[in-house]
Amino acid sequence: MKKISFLFGVLLLTACFCTSAFAGEPQDRLKVGIDKVIAILSDPALKAASKRIERQNRLRTVADSFFDWRELSRRAAAEHWAKFSPKQQDDFIASFSELLQKTYIRKLEKYNNEKVAYLKEQTEGNQAFINTQVAMKDKTIPINYVMIKRDQWLVYDVVVEGVSLVKNYRTQFAKILTKDSPESLIQRIKDKIKSLDDGKNVDDVVGKEG
Amino acid sequence: MQTLSRSLIAALVLILFCSAAALAAPAPADKPAGLAQKPAPANMLLAYGDEDIWDENGQIIRKPAPGEKVSTSDAAAETPDPLEGWNRMWFGFNDKLYFWALKPVAQGYTYVLPERPRLWVHNFFHNLMFPVRFVSLMLQGKPDAAAVETSRFIGNTAFGLGGLADITADSKPFQPIPSTEQDLGLTFGYWGSGNGFYLVWPFIGPSSGRDTLGYAGDYFLTPASYINPWYWSAAAKGYDKVNEVSMRTGDYETLKEASVDPYEAVRDAYLRNRFKKMND
Repeated sequence: MKKISFLFGVLLLTACFCTSAFAGEPQDRLKVGIDKVIAILSDPALKAASKRIERQNRLRTVADSFFDWRELSRRAAAEHWAKFSPKQQDDFIASFSELLQKTYIRKLEKYNNEKVAYLKEQTEGNQAFINTQVAMKDKTIPINYVMIKRDQWLVYDVVVEGVSLVKNYRTQFAKILTKDSPESLIQRIKDKIKSLDDGKNVDDVVGKEG
Repeated sequence: MQTLSRSLIAALVLILFCSAAALAAPAPADKPAGLAQKPAPANMLLAYGDEDIWDENGQIIRKPAPGEKVSTSDAAAETPDPLEGWNRMWFGFNDKLYFWALKPVAQGYTYVLPERPRLWVHNFFHNLMFPVRFVSLMLQGKPDAAAVETSRFIGNTAFGLGGLADITADSKPFQPIPSTEQDLGLTFGYWGSGNGFYLVWPFIGPSSGRDTLGYAGDYFLTPASYINPWYWSAAAKGYDKVNEVSMRTGDYETLKEASVDPYEAVRDAYLRNRFKKMND
Protein backbone atom coordinates (compact mmCIF):
# COMPACT_ATOMS: atom_id res chain seq x y z
CA MET A 1 0.00 0.00 0.00
CA LYS A 2 2.76 2.34 0.96
CA LYS A 3 4.60 1.54 -2.22
CA ILE A 4 1.61 2.28 -4.33
CA SER A 5 1.02 5.64 -2.73
CA PHE A 6 4.72 6.40 -3.11
CA LEU A 7 4.55 5.52 -6.79
CA PHE A 8 1.43 7.59 -7.14
CA GLY A 9 3.20 10.52 -5.51
CA VAL A 10 6.13 10.21 -7.87
CA LEU A 11 3.78 10.07 -10.82
CA LEU A 12 1.96 13.18 -9.65
CA LEU A 13 5.22 15.03 -9.14
CA THR A 14 6.41 14.09 -12.61
CA ALA A 15 3.14 15.27 -14.06
CA CYS A 16 3.51 18.59 -12.26
CA PHE A 17 7.05 19.04 -13.48
CA CYS A 18 6.12 18.19 -17.02
CA THR A 19 3.42 20.81 -17.24
CA SER A 20 5.60 23.51 -15.77
CA ALA A 21 8.76 22.66 -17.67
CA PHE A 22 7.19 22.21 -21.08
CA ALA A 23 4.89 25.13 -21.55
CA GLY A 24 4.05 24.13 -25.07
CA GLU A 25 5.94 24.78 -28.24
CA PRO A 26 4.64 28.24 -29.19
CA GLN A 27 5.24 29.77 -25.79
CA ASP A 28 8.73 28.27 -25.54
CA ARG A 29 9.53 29.65 -28.92
CA LEU A 30 8.18 33.09 -28.01
CA LYS A 31 10.17 33.06 -24.80
CA VAL A 32 13.37 32.26 -26.69
CA GLY A 33 12.72 35.26 -28.92
CA ILE A 34 11.92 37.66 -26.09
CA ASP A 35 14.91 36.43 -24.08
CA LYS A 36 17.14 37.04 -27.07
CA VAL A 37 15.84 40.58 -27.43
CA ILE A 38 16.34 41.24 -23.71
CA ALA A 39 19.86 39.80 -23.87
CA ILE A 40 20.76 42.18 -26.69
CA LEU A 41 19.16 45.14 -24.95
CA SER A 42 20.91 44.51 -21.64
CA ASP A 43 24.29 43.57 -23.14
CA PRO A 44 26.66 46.19 -21.72
CA ALA A 45 29.03 45.77 -24.68
CA LEU A 46 26.29 47.06 -27.00
CA LYS A 47 25.17 49.97 -24.82
CA ALA A 48 27.65 52.50 -26.20
CA ALA A 49 26.29 55.06 -28.64
CA SER A 50 28.81 53.93 -31.26
CA LYS A 51 27.32 50.42 -31.18
CA ARG A 52 23.80 51.60 -31.80
CA ILE A 53 23.68 50.51 -35.43
CA GLU A 54 25.04 47.09 -34.59
CA ARG A 55 22.53 46.67 -31.80
CA GLN A 56 19.66 47.67 -34.08
CA ASN A 57 20.85 45.22 -36.72
CA ARG A 58 20.98 42.41 -34.21
CA LEU A 59 17.46 43.21 -33.02
CA ARG A 60 16.29 43.17 -36.62
CA THR A 61 17.78 39.74 -37.19
CA VAL A 62 15.92 38.41 -34.17
CA ALA A 63 12.68 40.10 -35.24
CA ASP A 64 12.97 38.68 -38.75
CA SER A 65 13.28 35.14 -37.43
CA PHE A 66 10.33 35.48 -35.05
CA PHE A 67 7.78 37.47 -37.06
CA ASP A 68 5.75 36.27 -40.00
CA TRP A 69 5.75 39.56 -41.91
CA ARG A 70 3.74 38.11 -44.79
CA GLU A 71 0.92 36.93 -42.56
CA LEU A 72 0.98 40.19 -40.63
CA SER A 73 0.84 42.30 -43.80
CA ARG A 74 -1.84 40.14 -45.39
CA ARG A 75 -4.07 40.46 -42.36
CA ALA A 76 -3.46 44.20 -42.09
CA ALA A 77 -4.50 44.66 -45.72
CA ALA A 78 -7.48 42.34 -45.04
CA GLU A 79 -10.00 42.20 -47.88
CA HIS A 80 -7.92 44.58 -50.00
CA TRP A 81 -5.06 42.05 -50.17
CA ALA A 82 -6.51 40.54 -53.34
CA LYS A 83 -6.08 43.90 -55.10
CA PHE A 84 -2.30 43.66 -54.71
CA SER A 85 -0.33 42.07 -57.54
CA PRO A 86 2.28 39.52 -56.35
CA LYS A 87 5.02 42.09 -56.87
CA GLN A 88 3.07 44.73 -54.97
CA GLN A 89 2.53 42.23 -52.16
CA ASP A 90 6.26 41.67 -51.81
CA ASP A 91 6.89 45.39 -52.01
CA PHE A 92 4.25 46.08 -49.41
CA ILE A 93 5.59 43.43 -47.02
CA ALA A 94 9.12 44.79 -47.35
CA SER A 95 8.24 48.43 -46.74
CA PHE A 96 5.63 47.78 -44.04
CA SER A 97 7.96 45.54 -42.03
CA GLU A 98 10.72 48.11 -42.47
CA LEU A 99 8.49 50.82 -40.99
CA LEU A 100 7.52 48.62 -38.05
CA GLN A 101 11.08 47.59 -37.30
CA LYS A 102 12.39 51.13 -37.54
CA THR A 103 9.91 52.56 -35.12
CA TYR A 104 9.46 49.76 -32.63
CA ILE A 105 13.15 48.93 -32.30
CA ARG A 106 13.68 52.54 -31.23
CA LYS A 107 10.97 52.06 -28.69
CA LEU A 108 12.61 48.88 -27.40
CA GLU A 109 15.82 50.77 -26.81
CA LYS A 110 14.18 52.36 -23.80
CA TYR A 111 14.09 48.95 -22.15
CA ASN A 112 14.88 49.26 -18.46
CA ASN A 113 14.89 45.77 -16.97
CA GLU A 114 11.13 45.34 -17.10
CA LYS A 115 10.11 41.77 -16.34
CA VAL A 116 7.93 39.69 -18.63
CA ALA A 117 5.46 37.23 -17.13
CA TYR A 118 3.88 34.50 -19.26
CA LEU A 119 0.30 34.11 -18.13
CA LYS A 120 -1.56 31.80 -20.47
CA GLU A 121 -1.16 29.89 -23.68
CA GLN A 122 -3.82 28.56 -26.03
CA THR A 123 -3.23 26.51 -29.15
CA GLU A 124 -5.85 25.89 -31.81
CA GLY A 125 -4.72 24.04 -34.92
CA ASN A 126 -1.73 25.88 -36.35
CA GLN A 127 -2.34 29.05 -34.36
CA ALA A 128 -1.57 30.06 -30.81
CA PHE A 129 -2.49 32.90 -28.50
CA ILE A 130 -0.19 33.81 -25.63
CA ASN A 131 -1.01 36.27 -22.84
CA THR A 132 1.94 37.99 -21.23
CA GLN A 133 2.34 40.91 -18.88
CA VAL A 134 5.15 43.42 -18.61
CA ALA A 135 5.68 45.02 -15.20
CA MET A 136 6.36 48.73 -15.54
CA LYS A 137 7.13 51.09 -12.66
CA ASP A 138 3.60 52.31 -12.07
CA LYS A 139 1.50 49.58 -13.68
CA THR A 140 1.54 46.30 -15.54
CA ILE A 141 0.88 46.28 -19.25
CA PRO A 142 -0.81 43.27 -20.85
CA ILE A 143 0.86 42.26 -24.11
CA ASN A 144 -0.60 39.36 -26.07
CA TYR A 145 0.97 37.55 -29.01
CA VAL A 146 -0.80 35.66 -31.77
CA MET A 147 1.37 33.07 -33.49
CA ILE A 148 1.10 30.79 -36.48
CA LYS A 149 2.97 27.59 -37.23
CA ARG A 150 5.12 27.59 -40.35
CA ASP A 151 8.42 25.71 -40.19
CA GLN A 152 8.61 27.34 -36.80
CA TRP A 153 6.08 29.20 -34.70
CA LEU A 154 6.04 32.83 -35.81
CA VAL A 155 4.32 35.89 -34.35
CA TYR A 156 1.87 37.68 -36.63
CA ASP A 157 0.08 40.01 -34.25
CA VAL A 158 0.87 41.81 -31.02
CA VAL A 159 -1.93 43.18 -28.81
CA VAL A 160 -0.94 45.89 -26.34
CA GLU A 161 -3.59 46.96 -23.83
CA GLY A 162 -6.38 45.73 -26.04
CA VAL A 163 -5.04 47.39 -29.18
CA SER A 164 -4.10 44.90 -31.88
CA LEU A 165 -1.26 45.98 -34.16
CA VAL A 166 -2.79 44.27 -37.17
CA LYS A 167 -6.24 45.72 -36.58
CA ASN A 168 -4.88 49.21 -35.93
CA TYR A 169 -3.18 49.16 -39.34
CA ARG A 170 -6.20 47.49 -40.91
CA THR A 171 -8.23 50.57 -39.99
CA GLN A 172 -5.64 52.92 -41.45
CA PHE A 173 -5.04 50.88 -44.61
CA ALA A 174 -8.74 50.30 -45.28
CA LYS A 175 -9.32 54.03 -45.30
CA ILE A 176 -6.50 54.61 -47.78
CA LEU A 177 -7.21 51.58 -49.97
CA THR A 178 -10.88 52.38 -50.48
CA LYS A 179 -9.78 55.63 -52.12
CA ASP A 180 -6.34 54.90 -53.54
CA SER A 181 -4.46 52.10 -55.24
CA PRO A 182 -2.13 49.66 -53.44
CA GLU A 183 0.74 51.39 -55.25
CA SER A 184 0.01 54.73 -53.58
CA LEU A 185 -0.26 53.06 -50.17
CA ILE A 186 3.17 51.50 -50.65
CA GLN A 187 4.45 54.91 -51.71
CA ARG A 188 3.01 56.49 -48.58
CA ILE A 189 4.75 53.94 -46.39
CA LYS A 190 8.01 54.54 -48.22
CA ASP A 191 7.61 58.30 -47.84
CA LYS A 192 7.06 57.84 -44.12
CA ILE A 193 10.24 55.76 -43.81
CA LYS A 194 12.13 58.36 -45.75
CA SER A 195 10.93 61.21 -43.58
CA LEU A 196 11.92 59.21 -40.50
CA ASP A 197 15.37 58.64 -41.99
CA ASP A 198 15.72 62.32 -42.77
CA GLY A 199 14.94 63.09 -39.17
CA LYS A 200 11.85 65.01 -40.14
CA ASN A 201 8.93 64.50 -37.83
CA VAL A 202 11.16 62.49 -35.54
CA ASP A 203 11.02 63.77 -32.05
CA ASP A 204 14.02 61.98 -30.61
CA VAL A 205 12.16 58.98 -29.29
CA VAL A 206 15.22 57.42 -27.73
CA GLY A 207 15.37 60.38 -25.39
CA LYS A 208 18.35 62.23 -24.06
CA GLU A 209 18.69 60.09 -20.97
CA GLY A 210 18.86 56.81 -22.91
CA MET B 1 -12.90 77.13 1.66
CA GLN B 2 -16.10 76.47 3.49
CA THR B 3 -17.81 75.05 0.42
CA LEU B 4 -14.78 72.85 -0.13
CA SER B 5 -14.82 71.38 3.34
CA ARG B 6 -18.57 70.99 3.26
CA SER B 7 -18.54 69.13 -0.02
CA LEU B 8 -15.60 67.06 1.17
CA ILE B 9 -17.52 66.03 4.28
CA ALA B 10 -20.58 65.27 2.19
CA ALA B 11 -18.47 63.14 -0.14
CA LEU B 12 -16.89 61.30 2.78
CA VAL B 13 -20.25 60.54 4.35
CA LEU B 14 -21.54 59.26 1.03
CA ILE B 15 -18.45 57.11 0.55
CA LEU B 16 -18.62 55.63 4.04
CA PHE B 17 -22.30 54.91 3.68
CA CYS B 18 -21.86 53.27 0.30
CA SER B 19 -18.85 51.23 1.36
CA ALA B 20 -20.72 50.03 4.41
CA ALA B 21 -23.52 49.02 2.08
CA ALA B 22 -21.00 47.32 -0.17
CA LEU B 23 -19.40 45.40 2.66
CA ALA B 24 -22.77 44.45 4.06
CA ALA B 25 -23.85 43.06 0.70
CA PRO B 26 -23.69 39.29 0.55
CA ALA B 27 -20.63 37.77 -1.07
CA PRO B 28 -21.31 37.63 -4.77
CA ALA B 29 -21.90 34.23 -6.28
CA ASP B 30 -21.16 33.63 -9.93
CA LYS B 31 -23.10 36.67 -10.96
CA PRO B 32 -23.33 39.56 -8.53
CA ALA B 33 -26.91 40.60 -8.06
CA GLY B 34 -25.93 44.06 -9.17
CA LEU B 35 -27.84 46.98 -10.50
CA ALA B 36 -26.88 46.52 -14.08
CA GLN B 37 -26.45 43.26 -15.89
CA LYS B 38 -24.24 43.21 -18.90
CA PRO B 39 -25.42 41.15 -21.91
CA ALA B 40 -22.86 38.25 -21.58
CA PRO B 41 -19.35 39.39 -22.14
CA ALA B 42 -17.02 37.90 -24.69
CA ASN B 43 -19.58 37.46 -27.40
CA MET B 44 -17.40 38.30 -30.26
CA LEU B 45 -18.42 38.68 -33.81
CA LEU B 46 -16.34 36.97 -36.42
CA ALA B 47 -14.66 39.55 -38.52
CA TYR B 48 -12.75 39.40 -41.75
CA GLY B 49 -13.77 36.02 -43.09
CA ASP B 50 -13.41 33.75 -40.06
CA GLU B 51 -9.73 34.54 -39.91
CA ASP B 52 -9.34 35.24 -36.25
CA ILE B 53 -9.70 32.52 -33.63
CA TRP B 54 -9.24 34.77 -30.62
CA ASP B 55 -10.21 38.30 -29.76
CA GLU B 56 -7.72 40.77 -28.31
CA ASN B 57 -7.82 39.22 -24.85
CA GLY B 58 -7.51 35.63 -25.95
CA GLN B 59 -11.20 34.77 -25.71
CA ILE B 60 -12.25 32.31 -28.36
CA ILE B 61 -14.48 34.03 -30.86
CA ARG B 62 -17.81 32.42 -31.54
CA LYS B 63 -20.61 33.30 -33.87
CA PRO B 64 -23.53 35.00 -32.15
CA ALA B 65 -26.81 33.13 -32.01
CA PRO B 66 -29.62 34.74 -34.02
CA GLY B 67 -30.92 37.82 -32.28
CA GLU B 68 -28.07 37.78 -29.79
CA LYS B 69 -26.53 41.10 -28.93
CA VAL B 70 -22.83 41.12 -29.55
CA SER B 71 -20.21 43.62 -28.72
CA THR B 72 -16.82 43.57 -30.32
CA SER B 73 -13.83 45.82 -30.40
CA ASP B 74 -14.30 45.91 -34.17
CA ALA B 75 -17.77 47.34 -33.69
CA ALA B 76 -16.34 49.87 -31.23
CA ALA B 77 -13.62 50.80 -33.70
CA GLU B 78 -16.28 51.45 -36.34
CA THR B 79 -17.78 54.26 -34.27
CA PRO B 80 -18.82 56.90 -36.80
CA ASP B 81 -16.73 60.00 -37.20
CA PRO B 82 -19.07 62.58 -38.73
CA LEU B 83 -16.98 65.51 -37.54
CA GLU B 84 -13.76 64.23 -39.02
CA GLY B 85 -12.53 67.57 -40.36
CA TRP B 86 -13.23 69.29 -37.04
CA ASN B 87 -11.65 66.40 -35.11
CA ARG B 88 -8.57 66.41 -37.30
CA MET B 89 -8.13 70.11 -36.62
CA TRP B 90 -8.15 69.56 -32.84
CA PHE B 91 -5.97 66.50 -33.25
CA GLY B 92 -3.40 68.74 -34.92
CA PHE B 93 -3.81 71.30 -32.16
CA ASN B 94 -3.26 68.69 -29.43
CA ASP B 95 -0.29 67.30 -31.32
CA LYS B 96 1.37 70.71 -31.36
CA LEU B 97 0.39 71.28 -27.74
CA TYR B 98 2.14 68.04 -26.85
CA PHE B 99 5.34 68.65 -28.76
CA TRP B 100 5.66 72.37 -28.10
CA ALA B 101 4.44 72.66 -24.54
CA LEU B 102 3.63 69.50 -22.65
CA LYS B 103 6.61 67.42 -23.68
CA PRO B 104 9.33 70.05 -23.11
CA VAL B 105 7.84 70.84 -19.71
CA ALA B 106 7.64 67.15 -18.83
CA GLN B 107 11.23 66.63 -19.97
CA GLY B 108 12.48 69.50 -17.85
CA TYR B 109 10.48 68.15 -14.95
CA THR B 110 11.95 64.67 -15.50
CA TYR B 111 15.42 66.21 -15.48
CA VAL B 112 14.78 67.89 -12.13
CA LEU B 113 12.82 65.16 -10.38
CA PRO B 114 13.95 61.51 -10.34
CA GLU B 115 11.55 58.70 -11.16
CA ARG B 116 10.73 57.66 -7.63
CA PRO B 117 9.21 60.94 -6.42
CA ARG B 118 7.33 61.16 -9.70
CA LEU B 119 5.89 57.77 -8.91
CA TRP B 120 4.76 59.12 -5.53
CA VAL B 121 3.02 62.01 -7.28
CA HIS B 122 1.37 59.52 -9.62
CA ASN B 123 0.20 57.45 -6.65
CA PHE B 124 -1.11 60.53 -4.90
CA PHE B 125 -3.26 61.67 -7.82
CA HIS B 126 -4.40 58.14 -8.56
CA ASN B 127 -5.47 57.70 -4.95
CA LEU B 128 -7.26 61.03 -5.06
CA MET B 129 -9.35 59.89 -8.01
CA PHE B 130 -10.91 57.22 -5.81
CA PRO B 131 -14.46 58.73 -5.91
CA VAL B 132 -14.61 58.33 -9.70
CA ARG B 133 -13.66 54.66 -9.52
CA PHE B 134 -15.85 53.95 -6.51
CA VAL B 135 -19.02 55.53 -7.89
CA SER B 136 -18.45 53.90 -11.30
CA LEU B 137 -17.97 50.46 -9.78
CA MET B 138 -21.09 50.84 -7.65
CA LEU B 139 -23.10 51.97 -10.66
CA GLN B 140 -21.81 48.96 -12.56
CA GLY B 141 -23.07 46.69 -9.79
CA LYS B 142 -19.65 45.49 -8.70
CA PRO B 143 -19.79 45.98 -4.91
CA ASP B 144 -16.91 43.55 -4.35
CA ALA B 145 -14.55 45.58 -6.51
CA ALA B 146 -15.84 48.82 -4.98
CA ALA B 147 -15.18 47.46 -1.49
CA VAL B 148 -11.63 46.45 -2.42
CA GLU B 149 -11.07 49.87 -3.95
CA THR B 150 -12.35 51.48 -0.75
CA SER B 151 -10.00 49.52 1.46
CA ARG B 152 -7.13 50.41 -0.85
CA PHE B 153 -8.07 54.07 -0.58
CA ILE B 154 -8.29 53.96 3.20
CA GLY B 155 -5.07 51.97 3.50
CA ASN B 156 -3.08 54.20 1.16
CA THR B 157 -4.44 57.42 2.62
CA ALA B 158 -3.98 56.47 6.26
CA PHE B 159 -0.78 54.45 6.13
CA GLY B 160 0.73 55.49 2.81
CA LEU B 161 1.38 59.12 3.70
CA GLY B 162 -1.86 60.42 2.24
CA GLY B 163 -1.58 58.28 -0.86
CA LEU B 164 2.03 59.01 -1.81
CA ALA B 165 2.91 55.36 -1.33
CA ASP B 166 0.88 52.62 -2.94
CA ILE B 167 1.22 50.24 -0.02
CA THR B 168 -1.78 48.14 -1.03
CA ALA B 169 -0.46 47.37 -4.53
CA ASP B 170 0.82 43.94 -3.52
CA SER B 171 -2.17 42.84 -1.49
CA LYS B 172 -4.45 40.85 -3.72
CA PRO B 173 -8.09 40.28 -2.80
CA PHE B 174 -9.06 36.71 -1.86
CA GLN B 175 -11.39 36.39 -4.78
CA PRO B 176 -10.41 37.85 -8.12
CA ILE B 177 -12.28 41.07 -8.81
CA PRO B 178 -12.92 42.92 -12.05
CA SER B 179 -10.61 45.81 -12.92
CA THR B 180 -11.14 48.82 -10.69
CA GLU B 181 -9.87 51.29 -13.29
CA GLN B 182 -13.33 52.52 -14.23
CA ASP B 183 -14.94 55.87 -14.94
CA LEU B 184 -18.41 57.07 -15.81
CA GLY B 185 -17.90 56.84 -19.58
CA LEU B 186 -17.02 53.18 -19.19
CA THR B 187 -19.99 52.75 -16.87
CA PHE B 188 -22.39 54.03 -19.54
CA GLY B 189 -20.75 51.63 -21.95
CA TYR B 190 -21.14 48.80 -19.46
CA TRP B 191 -24.82 49.60 -19.28
CA GLY B 192 -24.98 49.06 -23.01
CA SER B 193 -24.54 52.55 -24.40
CA GLY B 194 -22.56 52.82 -27.62
CA ASN B 195 -19.87 55.38 -28.24
CA GLY B 196 -22.21 57.55 -30.27
CA PHE B 197 -19.59 59.28 -32.36
CA TYR B 198 -15.90 59.95 -32.13
CA LEU B 199 -14.89 63.35 -30.84
CA VAL B 200 -11.55 65.05 -30.21
CA TRP B 201 -11.44 67.75 -27.56
CA PRO B 202 -8.74 70.38 -27.29
CA PHE B 203 -6.48 69.72 -24.25
CA ILE B 204 -8.42 66.57 -23.27
CA GLY B 205 -7.74 64.56 -26.42
CA PRO B 206 -9.66 61.70 -28.03
CA SER B 207 -13.16 61.07 -26.69
CA SER B 208 -16.61 60.10 -27.86
CA GLY B 209 -20.15 61.31 -27.34
CA ARG B 210 -20.59 58.83 -24.51
CA ASP B 211 -17.21 59.47 -22.93
CA THR B 212 -17.78 63.23 -23.07
CA LEU B 213 -20.87 62.84 -20.90
CA GLY B 214 -18.89 60.54 -18.63
CA TYR B 215 -16.06 63.04 -18.46
CA ALA B 216 -18.45 65.79 -17.43
CA GLY B 217 -19.74 63.55 -14.64
CA ASP B 218 -16.23 62.57 -13.60
CA TYR B 219 -15.43 66.26 -13.23
CA PHE B 220 -17.77 66.50 -10.27
CA LEU B 221 -16.28 63.38 -8.69
CA THR B 222 -12.71 64.66 -9.01
CA PRO B 223 -11.61 66.27 -5.74
CA ALA B 224 -9.20 68.58 -7.59
CA SER B 225 -12.22 70.20 -9.28
CA TYR B 226 -13.29 71.64 -5.91
CA ILE B 227 -10.10 73.56 -5.21
CA ASN B 228 -10.74 77.29 -4.95
CA PRO B 229 -9.93 79.55 -6.79
CA TRP B 230 -10.27 77.89 -10.17
CA TYR B 231 -6.69 78.49 -11.30
CA TRP B 232 -5.32 76.41 -8.45
CA SER B 233 -7.67 73.66 -9.48
CA ALA B 234 -6.44 73.93 -13.07
CA ALA B 235 -2.84 74.02 -11.84
CA ALA B 236 -3.32 70.82 -9.84
CA LYS B 237 -4.82 69.05 -12.83
CA GLY B 238 -2.13 70.41 -15.12
CA TYR B 239 0.56 69.19 -12.78
CA ASP B 240 -1.01 65.74 -12.70
CA LYS B 241 -1.01 65.74 -16.50
CA VAL B 242 2.66 66.78 -16.74
CA ASN B 243 3.59 64.09 -14.24
CA GLU B 244 1.71 61.45 -16.25
CA VAL B 245 3.38 62.56 -19.47
CA SER B 246 6.77 62.37 -17.77
CA MET B 247 6.11 58.69 -17.05
CA ARG B 248 4.90 57.99 -20.58
CA THR B 249 7.17 60.06 -22.80
CA GLY B 250 7.72 58.24 -26.07
CA ASP B 251 4.49 56.26 -26.31
CA TYR B 252 2.65 58.80 -28.40
CA GLU B 253 5.75 59.43 -30.50
CA THR B 254 6.07 55.75 -31.39
CA LEU B 255 2.42 55.44 -32.33
CA LYS B 256 2.65 58.58 -34.41
CA GLU B 257 5.84 57.60 -36.19
CA ALA B 258 4.84 54.03 -36.87
CA SER B 259 1.49 54.95 -38.39
CA VAL B 260 0.65 55.90 -41.92
CA ASP B 261 -2.25 58.04 -40.77
CA PRO B 262 -1.63 59.12 -37.14
CA TYR B 263 -5.15 60.45 -36.70
CA GLU B 264 -6.71 57.11 -37.64
CA ALA B 265 -4.16 55.20 -35.57
CA VAL B 266 -4.96 57.20 -32.44
CA ARG B 267 -8.69 56.96 -33.06
CA ASP B 268 -8.54 53.17 -33.46
CA ALA B 269 -6.26 52.75 -30.45
CA TYR B 270 -8.49 54.94 -28.27
CA LEU B 271 -11.72 53.15 -29.17
CA ARG B 272 -10.26 49.65 -28.80
CA ASN B 273 -8.48 50.48 -25.56
CA ARG B 274 -11.69 51.89 -24.09
CA PHE B 275 -13.53 48.76 -25.20
CA LYS B 276 -11.00 46.57 -23.42
CA LYS B 277 -11.18 48.65 -20.22
CA MET B 278 -14.94 48.42 -20.28
CA ASN B 279 -14.80 44.63 -20.37
CA ASP B 280 -11.97 44.19 -17.86
